[in-house]
Amino acid sequence: MYNISKEKALIMHIDLNSAFATAEQQAHPSLRGKPMGVTNRISKECCVIAASYEAKALGIKVGMRRSEVMAICPKFILVETDPPKYNDVYRKLIKIMKSYSPKIKMKSIDEGLLDFHGLEPILKGQSLTEIGYEIKQRVRDEIGDYMRINVGIGSNRFLAKQAAGWHKPDGLDKIDHTNLIDYYKSIKLTDLTGIAKHNQARLNSYGMMTPIDFINADELLLKKQVFKSITGTYWYRRLRGYEIDDYETNLGMVGRQWMVKDPSSKNDYLLPCLSYLCETTGMKLRFRQVEARGVYIGLSFQNGEYWQSRQTYKTPFYTNQEIYQKMLELFNKRPHGTVKFIRVYCYNLVPSGRNQMNLFEDAVKKEWLTKAVDEINEFYGIFTVYSAGSLDGKKIIKQKIPFGGTDYFDLLLKQS
Amino acid sequence: MDPTIKINKRVDIITIFYAKSPEKTLCIPKKMKYKGSEITFTTFGMRHPTARGKRMIHIFDMSDGVNDYRLEFDAEGLTWTLISMIEGSYV
Repeated sequence: MYNISKEKALIMHIDLNSAFATAEQQAHPSLRGKPMGVTNRISKECCVIAASYEAKALGIKVGMRRSEVMAICPKFILVETDPPKYNDVYRKLIKIMKSYSPKIKMKSIDEGLLDFHGLEPILKGQSLTEIGYEIKQRVRDEIGDYMRINVGIGSNRFLAKQAAGWHKPDGLDKIDHTNLIDYYKSIKLTDLTGIAKHNQARLNSYGMMTPIDFINADELLLKKQVFKSITGTYWYRRLRGYEIDDYETNLGMVGRQWMVKDPSSKNDYLLPCLSYLCETTGMKLRFRQVEARGVYIGLSFQNGEYWQSRQTYKTPFYTNQEIYQKMLELFNKRPHGTVKFIRVYCYNLVPSGRNQMNLFEDAVKKEWLTKAVDEINEFYGIFTVYSAGSLDGKKIIKQKIPFGGTDYFDLLLKQS
Repeated sequence: MDPTIKINKRVDIITIFYAKSPEKTLCIPKKMKYKGSEITFTTFGMRHPTARGKRMIHIFDMSDGVNDYRLEFDAEGLTWTLISMIEGSYV
């Protein structure tokens, strides 16, 4: 009736529960069982970037400001992030996952996918549920006894993720054609990954109030009217367990952003920080083996105004110096004001052409210098050699905690 | 709000290196002498390595059952430093 995929559930989704907060509770036993959270830098109006389950139970959410949190729970404990600790947790989690399948994909710092397609012969009759419990135990043994993960097993990426979120924390569930409808009966529309307020309103306007109404909807209705695009067909198939999310996204931009520690309008303070942001952008660019043809800079000011500027160039570039020079040209055109937020990124990315021979001596020297510095940093540790202009910036800006992608963490791991 | 007390002082440590143990607990500090008193660690929190230039630093988060201690072992200089602590009674 529903045309549900009968394919075996061979995708496993692993999700670390409240990753950063749990890692801190693992490291500090006195914080266990208490409402606590993690912030990038403790300040008057800092916000919570990860909250423990005890805090979540009180209604404290990620993104809440310190004052809001303290109003809910005056005893709330806030600690600063510790990126090397999370690096280590991430590295160990990847190591565990890789020992089960060569086909793993980290979706973010705290969640990843294992694809078991084609691996049935080497599983020797072991079910994915058994493997899931084994991974849970290994996480406790190899990372820490307080670490908890959710494991979800499904016939496609979407259902595996849904299964991982079914019984939080520390759950293990499997969703396939045998229990798919029962599962949809037990949840709300907004429990579906990708259906937030906007999409919920869209579905509601066509009389779809529950996931069961959603799966009952006709493919053409979803495609032509509800989503008015191919997205409707994707949803039709995704909900039924067919794989449509197995694709690689193109890299569109590489950059960094930073909430200025002490908002300022002075170049003496801002330029070293800008230089440091450009250095990390350059590192990321070369790590991804791409070159850029455009730079963008965006600034938020203390008075609430936002200013941005961009410039596209004919020739691609990749060195820290080039990025900084180009950013500086734009930065110097900024209106006067106290800067509280800086966003820099490079766009129009093209595959690196650094392996091509170059006729011009200057270009060759530039390439050798960058390569030498990168090799030294790779061998002796990140930021062993960097430009003098970034010296003060490095002292002020903390290492970034990536949420969306894991590329920067991979870069740090490679260099550590 | 932040219960961490920064200390940053060299300390005397008694360490055990196990011949057979899971990777995370191959080496663990057992006792520490700090401000004249002897602290025995009863709970292992976490250990993670980090690089400072070419120096390898191992960070140990330990607890004596009441307070949490963050210790750094410099594998090149062979020094132990008590970086910070969290007083259990505070939290």
